[in-house]
Amino acid sequence: MTRLLALFAVLLSFALPAQAQRLISGVSNDTVQITSSFDGERLTFFGTIAPEAGATEQTVSGPFQVVIVVLGPTQDRVAREKTNNFGIWLNTEQVEFRRFPSYFHVLSNKRLLEISDIATLNANYILPESYAMAPNPAGFMKTLNFGRELIRLMSEDGLFGVQETGVQFMSDTFYTAQLTLPSSAPPGPYIAQTYLFKNGELIARKSEGFAVRKIDFERFLAQSATQYPLLYGIACVILALFTGWLGGVIFKR
Amino acid sequence: MQIYLPIAELSVNLFFLVGIGGAVGFLSGLFGVGGGFLLTPLLIFSGVPTAVAVASVTGQVVAASTSGALSHYRRGGIDLHLAMYLVLSGVLGAFGGVATFAVLRDAGQLDLFISLGFLILLGFVGILMLQEAVRALLKHRQGIVVRERLPNQHSWIHGLPWRVRFKKSRLYISVLPVLAIGLFIGFVGSLLGIGGGFIMVPALVYLLRVPGNVVIGTSLAQVVAMMSATTILHAVQSQSVDILLAFCLMVGGVAGAQFGAAAGKNLRGEQLRGLLALLILAVAIRFGLSLVLAPADPFSMAVTR
Repeated sequence: MTRLLALFAVLLSFALPAQAQRLISGVSNDTVQITSSFDGERLTFFGTIAPEAGATEQTVSGPFQVVIVVLGPTQDRVAREKTNNFGIWLNTEQVEFRRFPSYFHVLSNKRLLEISDIATLNANYILPESYAMAPNPAGFMKTLNFGRELIRLMSEDGLFGVQETGVQFMSDTFYTAQLTLPSSAPPGPYIAQTYLFKNGELIARKSEGFAVRKIDFERFLAQSATQYPLLYGIACVILALFTGWLGGVIFKR
Repeated sequence: MQIYLPIAELSVNLFFLVGIGGAVGFLSGLFGVGGGFLLTPLLIFSGVPTAVAVASVTGQVVAASTSGALSHYRRGGIDLHLAMYLVLSGVLGAFGGVATFAVLRDAGQLDLFISLGFLILLGFVGILMLQEAVRALLKHRQGIVVRERLPNQHSWIHGLPWRVRFKKSRLYISVLPVLAIGLFIGFVGSLLGIGGGFIMVPALVYLLRVPGNVVIGTSLAQVVAMMSATTILHAVQSQSVDILLAFCLMVGGVAGAQFGAAAGKNLRGEQLRGLLALLILAVAIRFGLSLVLAPADPFSMAVTR
């Protein structure tokens, strides 16, 4: 009986925000190709807010706020702190963050804290700091401290970022956003989560995927290095011996 | 022009890479050393991950030493018998070095040990070389003819067992110090991404009394063989050899070395050694400062998987 009630409650909670809007969104590229001249790539996200299919109202009324979170493939990362021990600076403390996003950028059309409250933003992992609060065996305070430093370091490398003017509304319901993916963006599957807010409440969400991958020669090299390391190593040596020999021949040493 | 390095996973200016390869190649041609001890730190300081820098420079050192080794071989300036002993123990040392490299990297202490290793090794060698060069320069100025060290001077090293005759070097010595030198250079070279020529040459001259006409060739041959093995070990063990990075450095290095060798003919031996000593000390001091001075940012990050 309790289970049935619980199920009912869950269903009710889904049904309650009976919003009459839905998001229709897209992204300009479904793959970003890394070639030998890869120097970053510009992506465009766009979408429109439309009435829910079967809704009685034929128009939607705003104002709406859109937040787009672009997430890269997860990695295990460590943040380390150097401390002075007898005059020498050593890495002494470290916290490991499992399944940490290798790339995280938030685009919005308004300041995030004006769009919604911190609890909602954190619960949806919209703020970078949300990742510093994820459960970790190192303990809450240490994780928070090291997590913030890790986010700062990644922001300096262009891997984490918040652009609170990144989304533009072209009309009341049509928005676009542009993001330049840096060349340091790691290859792998990416997700762009679009959140639609109205009066501080999350009323719709949608996600798109795109892939960043090495192609052609870059892909061939990276694959050989991991799948045939012995052959790859031997090829490196042959290349080195040949280059050295050729240099000697050309310059007649 | 940017080029994307597939293993380092970052894009770097192509001309910058070929440029530092060329500059280091010039110095290596000038001084007759491999140049790994300059290239690895330069790459680390310019943002290439330490593991990728060390492993890729290993490949570059092979290329830089090949043309020299070949020309010495044609002139008959290599004691293959001696080189074989050095290479065998060197490869053994390289296994140890590459394994240590992996352990340190996982423990987050790779950068520390590389800094310490460079500091101790380069500081020690640099001071010894500077002393020797200054003494030679002073004597030269006073008009005293500097006598080469006598090759028949004996030390405790020559009293060790398991003696082997090395015909080309005209030596009849124990294999133990030979193997020890090879083992040490294999270990240090693979850990720090250096060929170790600047340690090998003094070791062969002062410890084993190898005659001058085969020292450089034998050392180069040993560097080529040992660093080839180390490149393969790094490729298999840590998978951090970036072939594109190594190739850019090779092209610059091989070309730069030719101009360096030509420029070196205008300088006297002890002047060259003095300059090299200063260069080595400068790198050592740079590493020393990075250990002692408060870092600009005490925090750092790394990807573990």
